[in-house]
Amino acid sequence: MARPGALAYLAWRALVAHPLKRLFKWRGTGLDRFRAAYVAEGLAPAEPARRAAAEAASACISCGLCETGCDLATATPVVRALGLHAAFRLYSRTTMDLALAGDALERCAGCAGCEALCPTRVPIARVLAALRGGGVGPGRGGRPG
Amino acid sequence: MADVYDVVVLGGGVNGTGVARDCALRGLRVLLLEKSDFGVGASGNSSGMIHGGIRYMLSDRKVTALACRDSGYIQRIAPHLLFRIPFLMPFASRREGATLRERAAWYATEVYVGTYDLYQPLKRGKPSTRLTAEELYAVEPGLRPGLAGAVTLDEWGIDAFRLCVLNALDAEAHGAEVRTWTEGRELLRGAGRVEGVRWRDVLTGEEGEARAPVVLNATGAWSPALARRNGARVPMRPGKGVHLTLDRRWSNYGVICSAVDGRQIFLMPHEAESIVGTTDDDFYGDPDDLEATSDEVEYLLEGAASLVPAVRSARVTRAWCGLRTTIFDYGPNEDALSREHQLLDGAAEGLAGLVSFVGGKLASYRAQAEEATDRIFALLGRPPVPCRTHELPLPGGDELPDPARLAAGGLVAAPVAARLAYRHGSRAREVLRLVEEDPRLGMVLCRDEGILAAEVVFCVRHEKVRRLQDLRRRCRVAVGACAGVDCARVAAQLAGRELGWDSERIRAELADLLDAGWRERRAILDGAQLAQEELLRGATGPLEVPW
Amino acid sequence: MSGLLEADVLVAGGGMAGAIAALAARRAGRAVALVRRSPGATALSSGAVSVAPDLGALAGEPLASRRPPLEAAARLAAARPDHPYAVVGTARLGEALAFACEELAAALAPFDDRRRFLATLYGSAVGAGLCQRANVAGDLLSVRGLLAVAGFAGHAGFDARLVAGGLGRYVARGGPEPRAVEVALPAGLGALARPHELAGALDAPGAAEALGDALRAALPAGARAALLPPVLGLDPGARAVERVAARAGVPVAETLSDVPSVPGLRLWRALEARLAAAGVRVVQGELAAAPAPGEPVRAGDAMIQAPVWILATGRFVGGGIARRGVLAEPALRLAVQAAEGREAGVHLAVRPAASLTSRDRRRPQPLLSAGLRVDHALRPLDERGRPVHPGLHAAGAVLGGHEQATDGTGLGVAILTGYLAGLAAAEGR
Repeated sequence: MARPGALAYLAWRALVAHPLKRLFKWRGTGLDRFRAAYVAEGLAPAEPARRAAAEAASACISCGLCETGCDLATATPVVRALGLHAAFRLYSRTTMDLALAGDALERCAGCAGCEALCPTRVPIARVLAALRGGGVGPGRGGRPG
Repeated sequence: MADVYDVVVLGGGVNGTGVARDCALRGLRVLLLEKSDFGVGASGNSSGMIHGGIRYMLSDRKVTALACRDSGYIQRIAPHLLFRIPFLMPFASRREGATLRERAAWYATEVYVGTYDLYQPLKRGKPSTRLTAEELYAVEPGLRPGLAGAVTLDEWGIDAFRLCVLNALDAEAHGAEVRTWTEGRELLRGAGRVEGVRWRDVLTGEEGEARAPVVLNATGAWSPALARRNGARVPMRPGKGVHLTLDRRWSNYGVICSAVDGRQIFLMPHEAESIVGTTDDDFYGDPDDLEATSDEVEYLLEGAASLVPAVRSARVTRAWCGLRTTIFDYGPNEDALSREHQLLDGAAEGLAGLVSFVGGKLASYRAQAEEATDRIFALLGRPPVPCRTHELPLPGGDELPDPARLAAGGLVAAPVAARLAYRHGSRAREVLRLVEEDPRLGMVLCRDEGILAAEVVFCVRHEKVRRLQDLRRRCRVAVGACAGVDCARVAAQLAGRELGWDSERIRAELADLLDAGWRERRAILDGAQLAQEELLRGATGPLEVPW
Repeated sequence: MSGLLEADVLVAGGGMAGAIAALAARRAGRAVALVRRSPGATALSSGAVSVAPDLGALAGEPLASRRPPLEAAARLAAARPDHPYAVVGTARLGEALAFACEELAAALAPFDDRRRFLATLYGSAVGAGLCQRANVAGDLLSVRGLLAVAGFAGHAGFDARLVAGGLGRYVARGGPEPRAVEVALPAGLGALARPHELAGALDAPGAAEALGDALRAALPAGARAALLPPVLGLDPGARAVERVAARAGVPVAETLSDVPSVPGLRLWRALEARLAAAGVRVVQGELAAAPAPGEPVRAGDAMIQAPVWILATGRFVGGGIARRGVLAEPALRLAVQAAEGREAGVHLAVRPAASLTSRDRRRPQPLLSAGLRVDHALRPLDERGRPVHPGLHAAGAVLGGHEQATDGTGLGVAILTGYLAGLAAAEGR
């Protein structure tokens, strides 16, 4: 239950303080302010095309069959250890680490041999292609300090 | 191992570990007893946010101020554990074209959240703003059509289990004795006061007594039972809260939704997943036996889907529950109960020296712990010592390593390095050192979560792991979408090797881990997660061949 | 894109059930087209072909006292009327298993009605009805004396002591004495190698021999056989197991696998090879908006027309049964039956997931045994219990009444029902 004093304070803010703030402190549109606050920290919205690809990757059940159809000869050992197809798992869940993914994503030749092996129909090659589209998706960003 | 202490802390949640740390830092001899593992109660099963409690701004301003200030402190001492989550509070009108009343309500919301901005500097939040409908859809295209705009604000997300663990580890580093899987069942009493605790190690059966003039009861939802067993009373109204985890970020930002009964719920991205929460219902059952029901799952999904329709086709990977330790008040609806905290004194019941925690918020844990520690000092009659928990970093919190640089050494792939940096902060380097020493530990156990074999070994060696299921809370073994199909067996092998488990014990621990996961998945089996379950059962079925 | 592909029988699904069905129809002289989009659960199986558990078994009994697979299957059919074994009868199970072993002789050891006890990575032993050639020497009842359990030094994925420790429980029940040892990884492979990379490396000339030499050096005195991690080659033709054994000087076998599964993949590749050799027209793709048998249907790049269809599309992993709010069969919209406690029926397909499961993870979970209801000729039934179409059959995990992942009958059901469906389809033409 709000106390009467608190309500009075809120009323003052609604009638006096907040309009003044809008007048003097708010620069640009709401979207500008939103972007200024968050995009710089890496919290930009994901592009719809990439979202669609990422959501298709939800069908993955971590069976590992895709990896047996992919020649990883050109990838570094640690990327191979992670599994090239971690690219569509780790990265598509959130592209916050996308900037770190370049090595892995580059290795994909787009042959779609992995897709033929996936029991749950994850469009792996298309997901990777969408992720390779570049840019930053919904970042983790926003670390304090 | 001496058995005389200044204070015995019962309960390894955020309050218990927070107090243990504060007491240890101030030079007291502390014993912390936790009957299972850190954070298994309300702390770990909270919403995963350090949030300032905007809801209580008018009714309980102290709660909000305390929470915001302390959020700022938590950032200082464990920056690696926190990540910003901007939230959207969308507006909708019932009919085409908003009425004056609706517009007034929206303006009121804008003002309210704008007032909350006054607290934001305390926790390094960004100022709120107002978005038009067009702007709203630009930043969150997944919202259902017909919305009129939104107000924005932001909060901080956190891994609450790791927060508890780090507090406990720091307490231990400063001289506290910390025992998990050890239950303090009986209070030792004499002459109208408490004299200590009789404890029992749940895993080994070892029993013992710890004598102390002060006992801090931070057992959360287990408090009333503990009190009853010892002839005391801790009035509490436990509130069950259910959350769902979705397998990836299904929205760009947090979205405040209205559930079917008008309650405010949320859908938010949380690290690499999404969380939908929460419910609040009085609970009279056994706190050790909490499971989400189909009704609760449906309630949350319906509410979230009302604003973000894509949630209906989202993959739900877990449904988890906790019990809020709400202060008892007969009459109000659950949501209306105060979130303040109280420290109850047992003197009235002949248990002077027993201090019981009730209520509180995750975000203010540090301040709550400070207050409790001050009280402990008073009870002990010691001269006060200044609190430093707001200044000294938690383990790993002294520096934020750059994942790209961690990965540059070629020991791990970059996304795995990022996970390590998040969970362990500066200690990520120690994890990588294990890989240098033993290349076998460079193996990635979980392609879903990016868990490194070395991380499992590090947690087992240094983070008080005694059971395999503890790794769920330390480094997310078997809590991702894959439910353990990738990582469970090898994690069990690694833990077994470190802890000297025989073959029998390894299998038993694996079964226990699978049981824990099953409880969280039973109510949400659908779509791809059901296929995952079928695969998991096929892969792990041979663990327990009955014939 | 080719024109219309006409066949006598169209099989949907490329796992064990579909492949056996196709091969059975082929053996009966029919033209068969098989449509499949991915390997499915068969490629993820452990390597064992479980036929039936011995339901009446007592814990701790000697392994040899377990009932042989055919008898166990007959008893199971009597005890569980909803199980596919009961629906079609187990009279021809032996014939079906023998057929499968002949067709897949590249991967499977010949069938004799004998239960083989195969070690798993957890240190338990599964009593399988059929096993792969790579498992034969590891049958606990065939090893008298010392069994060396070898893990790879330098690789954290396999724990020989876990396996050996667990197998020690079977010594009193007739099993061999296990002893854990370590051997070096095949050359060129490091700590980060995945199972299929290890297996592929062993197929190459020289690698299996080197492993055999390393094993020989590590064997304890008196070892009668050696058990290795389940990575002994991906290509049955490369004969990695035999090559290792030849150099090691003792019979060599691999354990059963969890996921990712090299043995499962090996089995699936054997299926694929046999299908091609037998003249089955294999089409990559899935049935699009399928009308009914007899009408042309698009699958992948082809249009196929066949008067008889066999649906062997699997359950949740395979995609033959799906649950999006309710249980359904996506390809032909057939009625799905589920069970809840003692009750079973298609009306349960809409129940919430939790009510079709039980709290104890180890117990059978009715949700995971949901599937099509069929008559004794394996024809799917509609809500009223009548065959949907005279020319439509179903086989394998798409059938309800068994939980193929855990009830110990999975691939046995696939083989039996695939075989019978294939023969029925061939006759029906």
